[in-house]
Amino acid sequence: MSLEKACLLLGILVFLLGLLGVMVRKNLITILVSTEIMLNGVNLVLVSVDSHLGRVDGQIFALFVLTVAAAEVAVGLGLIVSLFRLRGYEGSSETVHLRD
Amino acid sequence: MEWVIFGFLSAWLLVSVVGAVLVKNPVHSILFFLSSVLAVAGVFLLLGAELLAGLQLIIYAVAIVVFYVLVITTIPWEKVKRFEGVYKRELLFGLPVVFVLFSLIAFTVARGDLAEPIGAIEDNVREVGRTLFTSYLFPFEVASVILLVAMIGAILLGRKEG
Repeated sequence: MSLEKACLLLGILVFLLGLLGVMVRKNLITILVSTEIMLNGVNLVLVSVDSHLGRVDGQIFALFVLTVAAAEVAVGLGLIVSLFRLRGYEGSSETVHLRD
Repeated sequence: MEWVIFGFLSAWLLVSVVGAVLVKNPVHSILFFLSSVLAVAGVFLLLGAELLAGLQLIIYAVAIVVFYVLVITTIPWEKVKRFEGVYKRELLFGLPVVFVLFSLIAFTVARGDLAEPIGAIEDNVREVGRTLFTSYLFPFEVASVILLVAMIGAILLGRKEG
């Protein structure tokens, strides 16, 4: 097994652990942190395959993933702050609709 | 030598990811996430992606983590404290699902062959810059529009209701 394959498996494991975090966490902020972990796993997979192939296209896609992560954090945290502010926040299990 | 560095980095990364997923306090979870971001930057350096390692440090470890901590300070702490930790039943059902998925994917990856290498690159930063500003120029511009739209959306969402 080569180093790139080991990095590929590591990225997949990080992605799945982030998925587990999205499933089990109670707090909305930590759910958003878990999605960031999933994006990190995807970046790891892209860069490891890229390093195996000897190209740079995967790194550019990882750069776009970074951009989307920054945008997602801005919008997601804005939504979470307004959810906390609107009425008594009841946790992720009871937040079923976004309209008042 | 590479394998020693990889083993150290992957152990660090997995410990911090598991900590970020399972630890109780949200602030501790964000600190574990910061640690995992540093480990991922180390793996990028090991794989020869220097530009992406630097961007990972600048964007994730500085901008995003600081943003999370700032947002947590603006929310009343007792509201954050009321729902912390994990759902036990979902953890009990989710852990086997994740385990089975990972073993299936790992079996497939370990058995299969990756594509043949095309070429080797000497200067990572120069090559990334050249490809980004020639082949991927239009997606690059679209990414800036996405950032602008996200900024406007965040301002609209975070505004106080007049």
